[in-house]
Amino acid sequence: MSIFQLRVNGTYHNVEIDGNMPLLWALRDVLGLKGTKFGCGVAQCGACTVHLDGRAVRSCAVDVGVACLSEITTIEGLSRDGSHPCQKAWVELGVPQCGFCQPGQIMTAAALLAAHKETNTPITDDDIDNAMRGNICRCGTYPRIRAAIKEAEKLS
Amino acid sequence: MSGIYKVTRRDFLRAAGVGTGALVFGSYLTPSLQAQGLIHNLINGFPVEDVPVVILKVNGDVIIITHRSEMGQGIRSSLAAVLADEMEADWNRVTLKQADADGGRYAVTFPAEVTTEYKLPFPYEEISKTRKPKLQYLVPPDGSQFTDSSRSMTAYFSVMRLYGAGIKLAMIRAAAKKWGVKPKECRAEKHRVYGPNGKSTDYRWLLLGAKKEKPSYEDISNALKTREEWRYIGKGKEPMPFYDAVDMVRGKTEFGADVDVPGMLTAMIERCPVANGALLTYDPAPALAVEGVRYVVPIFPPGVRGGGVGRAFTPHAGVAVVAANTWAALQGRRALKPTITWDLGPHATYDSAAYRKELEGSTAEPGKVVRRLKDVDDAFAQAAAGTMEAIYYVPHLAQAPMEPPVAVALFQNGRMEVWAPTQNPDGAQQVAGQVALGFSDDQMADETFRDKARAAATVHVTMLGGGFGRKSKPDYIGEAAILAKHNPGVPIRVQWTREDDIKFSYYNAASSQHLKASLGADKLPTALLQRSAVTSFFGTLVPNYSTPGLTDPQLEAYAKARLALFGGGEYPYASGIERAQGLEDMPYDVPNIRLENCRAENHIRVGWMRSVANIYHAFAINSFAGELAIAAGRDPKDYLLDLIGKDRLLDEKTMTSQSVERFRNNELPLEGIDVPVIEGGKVNQVVAGYPPDTSRLRAVINQVAEESGWKDKAAQYKNMKGRGLGIAAHRSFLSYVAVVVDVSLNDENELTIHDVYGTIHCGLAVNRDRVLAQMEGGIVYGLSYALLGEITVKNGAVVQNNFDDYPVLRIYQTPRIHVSIVDSDDPPTGVGEPPTPAVAPALANAIVAAGGPRIREIPFHRHIVVL
Repeated sequence: MSIFQLRVNGTYHNVEIDGNMPLLWALRDVLGLKGTKFGCGVAQCGACTVHLDGRAVRSCAVDVGVACLSEITTIEGLSRDGSHPCQKAWVELGVPQCGFCQPGQIMTAAALLAAHKETNTPITDDDIDNAMRGNICRCGTYPRIRAAIKEAEKLS
Repeated sequence: MSGIYKVTRRDFLRAAGVGTGALVFGSYLTPSLQAQGLIHNLINGFPVEDVPVVILKVNGDVIIITHRSEMGQGIRSSLAAVLADEMEADWNRVTLKQADADGGRYAVTFPAEVTTEYKLPFPYEEISKTRKPKLQYLVPPDGSQFTDSSRSMTAYFSVMRLYGAGIKLAMIRAAAKKWGVKPKECRAEKHRVYGPNGKSTDYRWLLLGAKKEKPSYEDISNALKTREEWRYIGKGKEPMPFYDAVDMVRGKTEFGADVDVPGMLTAMIERCPVANGALLTYDPAPALAVEGVRYVVPIFPPGVRGGGVGRAFTPHAGVAVVAANTWAALQGRRALKPTITWDLGPHATYDSAAYRKELEGSTAEPGKVVRRLKDVDDAFAQAAAGTMEAIYYVPHLAQAPMEPPVAVALFQNGRMEVWAPTQNPDGAQQVAGQVALGFSDDQMADETFRDKARAAATVHVTMLGGGFGRKSKPDYIGEAAILAKHNPGVPIRVQWTREDDIKFSYYNAASSQHLKASLGADKLPTALLQRSAVTSFFGTLVPNYSTPGLTDPQLEAYAKARLALFGGGEYPYASGIERAQGLEDMPYDVPNIRLENCRAENHIRVGWMRSVANIYHAFAINSFAGELAIAAGRDPKDYLLDLIGKDRLLDEKTMTSQSVERFRNNELPLEGIDVPVIEGGKVNQVVAGYPPDTSRLRAVINQVAEESGWKDKAAQYKNMKGRGLGIAAHRSFLSYVAVVVDVSLNDENELTIHDVYGTIHCGLAVNRDRVLAQMEGGIVYGLSYALLGEITVKNGAVVQNNFDDYPVLRIYQTPRIHVSIVDSDDPPTGVGEPPTPAVAPALANAIVAAGGPRIREIPFHRHIVVL
């Protein structure tokens, strides 16, 4: 057990935990941030996606000891009030079904959006395929996710 | 706290966070009133009792209690919006509250004048012509919270309308009295009543007056809106609200996995890999050495057989590591695993490859005839253009909802409190109460013990991160309850890993389907034989003759249970439910028909996955139709329509309300296959309760053909190498779906699915956007298992682990999807499952059309390259 300082959604937290604990469980069990979901535990499904310094990563496969070096953003910190273009587009197009994978989908999409905004390049279908291929949705909301990313691009 | 049945109004209102003085509308189900139900409750004055459906707070805000589990269908939003629509509630003043499990207290029985009005077969025309939709139901609103069989809207549409209209009428009358005018002069809109001379008032000021109103059933019925007046329902004036969407995209929705009870410990369980196995020995020391691990405890004592075949929801044998957090529990479990020895038991030789041979052997021999029309053997012997034969195979499949099973249980003062994502609140309540009271499975066969068990458990139903049938089985809730009972006063959370979910599912049946047809001079079949062998969920859910130690009276009781719960049938044959899903209701108009059900033994936990038996029956019959069309040299769509034949209701002569009554009263014979052989081409409808209507099947086929541009593309693709269209159509859960798939196959045998078109006839599409969403998602689900789905078993244990070796469709593999709804004003029918079954055969037919192989087994990736 060691003490780690985690910077999550702009707030510092000192936590005394096993440095090998995946960030996912530190967020959920220790910090009580339940928006980040457990779906597979082996970086196959993307339900646990968060941002480390703006990059989308699978928090089930990043140890706390590594995560503490970066600024961590979870779905709870993506926007204060659900006003991120992805969140708005997701609601507008009725993307969620059961909703369990959607925080992870949105975090991955938000990173894609930000990257393209930075380079000022439009998002193509191939870009969406490549960025989103690590996020599984068992309800099959993929067609609407694709449409919502395009809508979010317009909104941002 | 006493039993849940004794929760008083005051307790409930406190729990719901509303003060006294609120107005509560509910079904007051004391035994004497139960038979009369909702309407009479309203007539007798708005009951202020212990099972509210709608609560109006003193400020006029509305709480709607939703009792169906939400797992992605949007049902709690849809049902509440139906009520709000008829009530003219302002949606901004509506909040939803998920009902706890309550052992059937949401039962609503229509008064006699409604139930007798609609005898089966259902008078479509009459309904369609009526401007004001009549009250009806196709599936009885029996009060079950069991969210399965795509029946929530089918059962509760009329109920929710009545509640809404009753409240609106009471408000209007109260306002009229207040103003000294006639109710006719008033109207309600968005939480306000408007009267003559510019008078208007908010519902909140009418609560006390409304409470005194006693509108009759007839008056409430007349207060229902016309179609044109609907705000949200159908093609309403405004989009149907989606209550949960905003929370979902902000990560604020509380799923079962997110429940946090103060002082909670987390458990991980290492389970016996084989069904009905038992624990022999284990060493807790290595697990206890992991920091954060509190204790190690077996689910059952060593030597006691765990769940599996014949044990329904009993958990597998296992050893739990209970820890301060999930990571510690995982680490402890890893340390524990090598120390365990199991008695693997009788199913340790179960092997998928051998089982397939067994099932295919079974369908090579005659089975039990379940439907017969004239004589297929004669027709086969005299076939003018020869016979065709094909065998199709579907392996076990796992539902794999995104949220793996999870449950929290707390045992204190002799009662069990549970928080869990469950499709089956009543089953969960029984399992939790059984553990709390220590009842045996034998005792639980008795209704009085089941009632005691229900009374000893509270089950809070959370949002579900997907269900697809997996969360119909509360085995994981049983595990949490067992661990909670072991440690009273401490909430215990059982978290499954994805590997647990894949390895300990209740799998969809493996199935062999043997089809044979003779073609006449017109190239249409003169005879059709279908033999279906399926690993029935009977074998798992109900003890049977192969279960050791059962007495004759017990066997008889279980046989009755099979009849009551599953439409009859006897292990190792299929249940009535499985037979009615695409076998007995085979819709083709062939002069000689014989449908048979063949033996299939059960060696692993079997349950169901989205659309259940329709998966293999639709795959086989629609693939076979495609094969016949090719043999006939015909356009597959035209040929399919010819197979279906003239518009008719299957079984319109035999299906009467009387036969339904006989079924409900358990008067059908018990021996053998139970339900008598259906003669003369008529279909057994005792389970479905609604006759298949081939005009609807034709309607979806025609609409999907139109929308996919079938005619032009089929002509165009004939001259193209490696491009093809496939079609399939299937009725399930009272709805009809047709699917067209457009694919290409290159020289490397690599498949590209360009477009999938789907059309559904689900009666009135109450929530159009969610119907379309279910169509899209159901098509993706169908593509997933068609291309990739396979659970294999070696030495009794499941081979697959996670999404790497049990892959499901990803976004880059998902084609363009185009879905539509056949316009209809008929009563609403199922939507969650029907989109799925026609996908696999349509894809198989498309692959052949593109010059690929005829694929007669799932998964297709064995025969073509899936990128």
